[in-house]
Amino acid sequence: MDLRLRETLRYLGYGKHAVDEQTYRLISESFRELESVVRERFIYRIFNLKIRDEELLWLESFSIRSRNLVKNMKDCRQAAVFAATLGTTTDQLIRRTMVSNVAKAAVMQACAATRMEELCDKIELEIREQAEPDGRILRPRFSPGYGDLALEYQKEILNILAAPKKIGVTLTDSFMLTPTKSVTAFIGIK
Amino acid sequence: MLKELLGKELLFFDGAMGTLLQEQGLQAGEYPENWNISHPEQVIEIHRRYFAAGSNIVLTNTFGANRIKYENQEYSLREVVYQAVAHVKEGAEKGAAQGRKSFIGLDIGPTGQLLKPLGSLDFEAAYEVFKEVVRYGTEAGADLIHIETMSDTYEVKAAVLAAKENSDLPVTVTMMFDEKGNLLTGGDVASAVALLEGLRVDALGINCGLGPAQMQPLLIEIRRYTDLPVIVNPNAGLPQQRNGQTVYDVDPAEFAGAMAELVKAGAALAGGCCGTTPDHIKMMIKACRELPLLRPADRQRTVVSAYGKAVEIGSIPVIIGERINPTGKSKLKAALKEQNYDYVLKEGIKQQDAGAHILDVNTGLPDIDEAAVLREAVCQLQSITSLPLQIDTADIGAMEAAMRIYNGKPMVNSVNGKQKSMDAVLPLIRKYGGVVVALTLDENGIPETAEGRYAIAARIVNEAAGYGIARKDVVADVLTMTVSSAAESAKVTLKALELVREGLGIQTVLGVSNISFGLPDRPVLNSAFYTMALQNGLSAGIINPLSVEMMASYYAYCALMEKDVNFEQYIRQYGQGAKAEAPPAQEQNMTLYTAIEKGLKEEAYRISGELLKEHQPLYIINTHLIPALDVVGKGFEAGTVFLPQLLMSAEAAKAAFEVLQENMSEHGQTEQAKEKVILATVKGDIHDIGKNIVKVLLENYGFEVLDLGKDVDPEMIVQTAVDQDVRLVGLSALMTTTVGSMETTIKLLRDSKPDCKVMVGGAVLNREYADMIGADFYGKDAMQSVYYAQKLLHDK
Repeated sequence: MDLRLRETLRYLGYGKHAVDEQTYRLISESFRELESVVRERFIYRIFNLKIRDEELLWLESFSIRSRNLVKNMKDCRQAAVFAATLGTTTDQLIRRTMVSNVAKAAVMQACAATRMEELCDKIELEIREQAEPDGRILRPRFSPGYGDLALEYQKEILNILAAPKKIGVTLTDSFMLTPTKSVTAFIGIK
Repeated sequence: MLKELLGKELLFFDGAMGTLLQEQGLQAGEYPENWNISHPEQVIEIHRRYFAAGSNIVLTNTFGANRIKYENQEYSLREVVYQAVAHVKEGAEKGAAQGRKSFIGLDIGPTGQLLKPLGSLDFEAAYEVFKEVVRYGTEAGADLIHIETMSDTYEVKAAVLAAKENSDLPVTVTMMFDEKGNLLTGGDVASAVALLEGLRVDALGINCGLGPAQMQPLLIEIRRYTDLPVIVNPNAGLPQQRNGQTVYDVDPAEFAGAMAELVKAGAALAGGCCGTTPDHIKMMIKACRELPLLRPADRQRTVVSAYGKAVEIGSIPVIIGERINPTGKSKLKAALKEQNYDYVLKEGIKQQDAGAHILDVNTGLPDIDEAAVLREAVCQLQSITSLPLQIDTADIGAMEAAMRIYNGKPMVNSVNGKQKSMDAVLPLIRKYGGVVVALTLDENGIPETAEGRYAIAARIVNEAAGYGIARKDVVADVLTMTVSSAAESAKVTLKALELVREGLGIQTVLGVSNISFGLPDRPVLNSAFYTMALQNGLSAGIINPLSVEMMASYYAYCALMEKDVNFEQYIRQYGQGAKAEAPPAQEQNMTLYTAIEKGLKEEAYRISGELLKEHQPLYIINTHLIPALDVVGKGFEAGTVFLPQLLMSAEAAKAAFEVLQENMSEHGQTEQAKEKVILATVKGDIHDIGKNIVKVLLENYGFEVLDLGKDVDPEMIVQTAVDQDVRLVGLSALMTTTVGSMETTIKLLRDSKPDCKVMVGGAVLNREYADMIGADFYGKDAMQSVYYAQKLLHDK
């Protein structure tokens, strides 16, 4: 079973179960429709990293307090920060689908999540090529909302990346990214 | 003064401010606007340098000076804007050459937040934010208002309206497109231009995001759609990363050459954005100064637009879908009265899928607040479709409310020849932009002759011209009277169409189906008349796109009259490919139980209809529907049935219910009063798919769901619970930051409606959280909520 399908089924709660034909069809249709509206955009920057103690680190002038992130970035000298989105047209498609077909909308939501992860993988690949090619290792990506890394940090991230202007990703007052199929994350570079 | 020069003389903007401030020591993360107060000399010096380089329009250092973006508490916004304007003035005094025309441009940039429905910022809230800056800047003495770097048509509309309603200064707008000509939020050049032209800005164009070379094709495209002066303020090329810094790769000499090309291609105002310096501007002016201004192209296209999409009404006929209209539709009437917009949205999507290009939206009913309902219908529709809408109402208040929040340039139905109508409607078109449908009737009624109708159309066009509304924005509806009461009706209409097209040169619209009223087999007459009207110059018919006959007329006409290149459309509709997808063989003797269990919507619908021939609805519900749902629900709990299947079964059950309910109401069987449940996603949260899933399931199980939507104020939830005497509220939240709103809502409910129970759900929640915030029940998945509701409200 290909990765895309497997991941989508995981989001839908299938675990290790086989997928039924109808759901499989919904998944295929959803990916096809998504493909025609998705407008991928992303932006990233690489910073020098200084870990102060077990809960505080500095990305040049950007300070973050999070034990979990510090642990994730142990032994790293640099970190990449990125923001990415599937665009407003993706949100619009899911919203439209919800009106006439809730089952398909739920499936499409899971497909969009998978698609979002694929974009993040793509960004990681690019960052990996950017980081000096001396066999440097990238840590697993870590987003605000994971562990004790507060959602509020998204604000600073979008600021330093100029994300609203460059890729159209903004933050609501309650720290939700809009368009909703958007992600911000740190990637430690060892 | 500036207004007279726009489009007549080549004018020059300034270049970047940010980079120059950074060179002077502006720190990363520091508000550039603060320097108006903390480093006035440096700011004035930058302005002086641009004036000295030859700029006519220099922008104030207020790009982010709006209440949402400028959160600095150190200085007041008012002070910042006032100083900013004063500094440009001083820069002009010190730097501008004698006799050179100099203007202070109030710079307004985006709020940095996305507007509803895609984001959480209210349109009117955005308007207020822009209004504040406009007022300060106008008071302080700016010469024009320049709105720039906008990547969302909705936000730009709020800004332009704020400028036009709170100031008499000229308004210029530049938007930021990508290389393909798309806005970040999905709009394109045609729709952006249609919107801005409709709002009557004084000049429009592009800035940022691209270098001069990349802007050229966009400039050419803009000029295809408008004769307004076009502004180009490109970056100094594309950004490159060098040593962790962003550098722009086009130097002043290269920039100057490229800008000269843009002026030759038709730009009327030129300047620079990121990466440009006074040197870039100086060399640009030197290269461009002697170039002649291209005459504005004479653009007479009739264009309507929505978020992201523009539709031209011209040589290719356009379909306006008529189905969102309560006349003769009892279901829609009921839905609108209950403020349930699902029906409206479904009709919208159906028509879109069937090939409509524009959707008519009419919510005219007695005893409803039409302005509120029409406004909401338009808001909701434009959040799920990018087809332009035709705002169809006789209520001026409703018309204005809808036009104001419409994201784009709408079609407006209608104005007529009565003075009262023209006095009321034409000012709205002037203010908000739109293509107005002109009905050829007046105080004397509907003329019996084609010439009579033509005369009224001519009169309306003239009156519109007095408001500055161009001919291209008026389309005539010469009216279709039924042949059964006046035999020559069809001939009159057809002749009137011709006269209007030839004599006035404007586009036409017609509601076709009236022709056959009172006669049998109306589709036969309607489709024939539609073809005849198309032949006589009908540009846009208001028809039912779900009608096979009407669409056949449309496709055939286009194919025959060379309006369907390579017969692509026709073949797609009628070719072998279209027929090849035969529906899968229906299982004979399938039971309703099985159809629901397997989530087969079409079958469930069909079989319910058949069962009704022999059984009562209640019997069918109790013997087939509920047991099937129960089995599926239990399977979901047990982990053998998964969410998509659960939902497909729910949708199948819903389809079956529709059939049964219709039958019950036909036979006068009133349904038992259903228990009401309120569902809402709490304030600050805009995720709603979980809530919608619970809604579908609750409805299946016989509850009446009052869906309050997302980002709902606690007060609204409580008020509804009190007003409708609701005993169960379901709250959903997906984020840790919004769980607080849940807690507030619950507290408020306890105070005002203590007998109401609260169940909560959402990925971020768990048992502990739920207890902590005082909820009565935590539903870990969709079915849990249903079981709780049943236990609470049904088993008494």
